[in-house]
Amino acid sequence: MLVELLAGIENSALAGALRGSTWIYPLVNTGHIIGVALFFGAIAPVDLRLIGVWAGIPLTHVTRILVPMATAGLVLAVSFGMLLFSTRASEYAASWLFWLKMLLLLLGFVNAAVYLIAHRRAENNDAIMPVSSRVTLGLSSLVLWTGVIVLGRLVGYF
Amino acid sequence: MRRRTFFEAIGGAFAFTAVVLLAPRSSFAHHGWGWATGEEFEITGRIKSVRLGNPHGEMMLDVDGAEWEVEIGQPWRNQRAGLTEDLLAIGAEVTAHGHRSANPDVRLMKAERLVIAGKDYNLYPDRAS
Repeated sequence: MLVELLAGIENSALAGALRGSTWIYPLVNTGHIIGVALFFGAIAPVDLRLIGVWAGIPLTHVTRILVPMATAGLVLAVSFGMLLFSTRASEYAASWLFWLKMLLLLLGFVNAAVYLIAHRRAENNDAIMPVSSRVTLGLSSLVLWTGVIVLGRLVGYF
Repeated sequence: MRRRTFFEAIGGAFAFTAVVLLAPRSSFAHHGWGWATGEEFEITGRIKSVRLGNPHGEMMLDVDGAEWEVEIGQPWRNQRAGLTEDLLAIGAEVTAHGHRSANPDVRLMKAERLVIAGKDYNLYPDRAS
């Protein structure tokens, strides 16, 4: 069933148009990279702040600007990423590197959700997040997203 | 060390490194050819399968029983060379000129020029092949 789904995606008119294009495919590829760059460039300072760098700057000052930017980057990266996936769906689905990347991506999302929940809970109790939680979440985020990027690049080499 | 001279030193080191790394080297430092050898290479075989489209096309050739993967161009590059899909039919005999993988165990090459039914299709006219 998965085989048929992947074949269906690959043989779609959209995937075909991307494969056969001159400029669109490279631009979609570039869009994915811009999304990734924007996302990682925004989330890395947030993670460092969570770990404790720039402790004098209130966390909310950092997140207010960078979390929306990271979100925008993520939306771009995922949208263009799905388009790229469609052009060679079966081939990517056969790559263990790709699946490992998807796993780390999922863990990255889970980590972000845990952070948001913990942050909201602390706010509601007029408290601040425990240091151990902050540091763990920040460190996990850095490690996971770096891993996603590394694997994303390796898919093209092996 | 004063802060300004420290940054000047860092800047200088960075500029020096950039100049060294960006200095022109052999054409095989060019992106996309680095994994292949420098010598011209050719094989002749029958097409087993073809997959065209971005990021680049590829075909599998049966070369005396061995399967070789031959990378061909992006859609625009193939089109420019006159290499149409119907020329790359299953069973067609093709001679591929180009560069093979530097890894002797890997049967992979990147084609510069294809010869099909006596006609030349040059994917990289500015490269010798």
